[in-house]
Amino acid sequence: MARVRLENITKRYGDETAVDDISLEVEDGEFVTFVGPSGCGKSTTMETVAGLTEPTEGRVYIGDDDVTGLAPKDRGVAMVFQNIALFPHMDVYENISFGLRLRKYDDEEVRRRVEEAADIVQLEGMLDRMPAEMSGGQQQRVGIARAIVRNPDVFLMDEPLANLDAKLRVHMRTELQRLHRELDATVIYVTHDQAEAMTMSNRIAVLNDGKLQQIAPPLVCYNEPTNLFVAGFIGSPSMNFVEGTLVEGGLETNNFTIGLDPGRLSGVSIGDDVTLGVRPEDVHLTQYADSLAAPTDPIDARTDVLEPMGDEVFVYLLLSEAAEGSMDQDPATSPNQLLMSVTPDTEIEANEDVDVVLDRSKIHLFDTATGDALLHGLTDRSEREPGTTPTEADS
Amino acid sequence: MSDPNAPTDPNDTRGTDDGDRPRDPTLHRPDGGTNVLKEGRDAELDRGPLQQWAADSIQNPERVYRALFYVAAIFFLFTTLFPFYWLLMVALTPEGQLQDIVFTPNGFNPGAFVEVFEVIPFHVYMFNSFVIALASTAVVLVIASLAGYAFGRLEFPGRTPLMLLVLIISFFPPAAFFIPLNDLFNTSFFFLRPITGDGTLYNTPFALVTPLSAIFMPLAIFILTTFYSQIPDGLEDAARVEGTTRLGALFRVIIPLSAPGVATAGVLTFIAVYNEFFFSFLMTDGQPQNWAPILDGILAYQGQYEVLYHLMAAASIIGVIPVAILVVVAQEKIVSGLTAGALKE
Repeated sequence: MARVRLENITKRYGDETAVDDISLEVEDGEFVTFVGPSGCGKSTTMETVAGLTEPTEGRVYIGDDDVTGLAPKDRGVAMVFQNIALFPHMDVYENISFGLRLRKYDDEEVRRRVEEAADIVQLEGMLDRMPAEMSGGQQQRVGIARAIVRNPDVFLMDEPLANLDAKLRVHMRTELQRLHRELDATVIYVTHDQAEAMTMSNRIAVLNDGKLQQIAPPLVCYNEPTNLFVAGFIGSPSMNFVEGTLVEGGLETNNFTIGLDPGRLSGVSIGDDVTLGVRPEDVHLTQYADSLAAPTDPIDARTDVLEPMGDEVFVYLLLSEAAEGSMDQDPATSPNQLLMSVTPDTEIEANEDVDVVLDRSKIHLFDTATGDALLHGLTDRSEREPGTTPTEADS
Repeated sequence: MSDPNAPTDPNDTRGTDDGDRPRDPTLHRPDGGTNVLKEGRDAELDRGPLQQWAADSIQNPERVYRALFYVAAIFFLFTTLFPFYWLLMVALTPEGQLQDIVFTPNGFNPGAFVEVFEVIPFHVYMFNSFVIALASTAVVLVIASLAGYAFGRLEFPGRTPLMLLVLIISFFPPAAFFIPLNDLFNTSFFFLRPITGDGTLYNTPFALVTPLSAIFMPLAIFILTTFYSQIPDGLEDAARVEGTTRLGALFRVIIPLSAPGVATAGVLTFIAVYNEFFFSFLMTDGQPQNWAPILDGILAYQGQYEVLYHLMAAASIIGVIPVAILVVVAQEKIVSGLTAGALKE
């Protein structure tokens, strides 16, 4: 097992920059997930670690060795592929032992290690099957066995679960976590599925447009996103964003005003555009808001569409008449709409006038111009002191 | 309502059995609307056999297609197989009785198939041809595989123009190369002396393998490029991460998975070289010990005063047999390769 260090990795294809100056370090035994939308450069970044792509600039280190110019076979990495990539002309045994046989291990050693690896991924008794005779889940297990049999320093997994059906995907997710724990392996995992990223990783690296946006443990990415992109990408459904303007004593949006001391925000001044972000579960009906330590003033809203999911209900709220009939806009980004999540036993109907409040401790503020986070949570000790905050003064 | 069993008036454009139902006006035809397509039983009364046949074929076009297939197949079989049949008849006819052979030989002399090896060492000519064809096939497959990999799987500037250039070379008439090549192969090189004795390539297999490989290379490159480009990138990446070089991935993964393509290119090259006339005729002096191919062997039955046609025919048949076997065997390989190589992408 080994650390992986990327130093200023840049990859250009002609004029296109696929990866833009990414530096990060994966600790020994850590499970780090690269997550981001399609074309954000996450797979290219992984390929530079594997050696399948040579970076235009920057260095790659595995352990203490600079492996930037080394061929993939000399890097001590193993890879699991999205399209599984089993060799169709070889049976399971030959597939798993491919790397060992190339390295001229003796037959007995090869057989012992293949059987051990097959054991770990629960493929006993299938070693003489051809890949075409197996289900997608079994094939991907063979792919994983092929990776672990060589006992590599680093595992690279490029969307290994993307081609499996939903149920199998959840199952394999837990298996991969178990494997990671058993093998104590350094894993770099690429996915566009943020649920996979949240559940499996020690840390998440969020990428967009070839740039590293944030690398942090999953809950830090969730609770303290560094910018608008991370805030919108992590979490499902997405965070609500309401654009507003910073005014004396608060943040003014089209439909409501949130009291705060502009002096707490560095980098922006009165009159600048600021985006308020709040997750659906941090929007509450006024009558259920007693438990909140720091609710905002009530905001008038009208329920539009209800989406019962079983364990929770998503309520689309219209904040003004203007919003009506504009549902084609994404509610997460429309200034006049909010998405609220409530428990299923909440008494609420479509087309009903309601008052909602936001949990001030869960409000995020972002600089609209740069997208950078300004503040996570409007409550701190000074704000809770009565009379010192604009909100308290207003009310 | 008219009685459906009443005799049909051919000029009755209203139709016979559906008077009340509104009718599609397009069914009223200029010939008076005999209703042949609808009312087969009644209509039979007023048609000749040709009309009947035409109506049947419109209703059952499959029958016509099948008939056309048999006609075409029999035509092609006749034009390709009858010459062989005739060759056999000529071979079986004893020497000097070659007049008026149409469907049966004049006499019966199977000994000609043994005699061909007694008059001249025909087996040596066959061996020469085999060596030349196999060597050319090997050279073509190795080089075309490398080229096919580059053209099919790598992005590089000038790829398409280069590919076109390669294909254009295959359109050149071989005669255009002959004089410079003949000159080259008759030039003595000191470094070839240990291999060929006099330092020239004339009268060696190289004089045939080199130009023939070059001429049949573009087709093989084209076939292999198509096959190699269809192997998913993931498989090559997997092989490289697992421990092969790019070249190793080509030989361990891409080529085995492209077996049908490699077999096709190989068989085509082998047959083309084996059958080739121009260079085979000119690049050796025709002596079996000087690597003269089958062609020279067959022509060797042509003496100054007589032509042993029956031996030429027998030798031709013997010469065809290996290629026929190869095609049958390779065809099985190609078919099995196509069905077993199911890729999942």
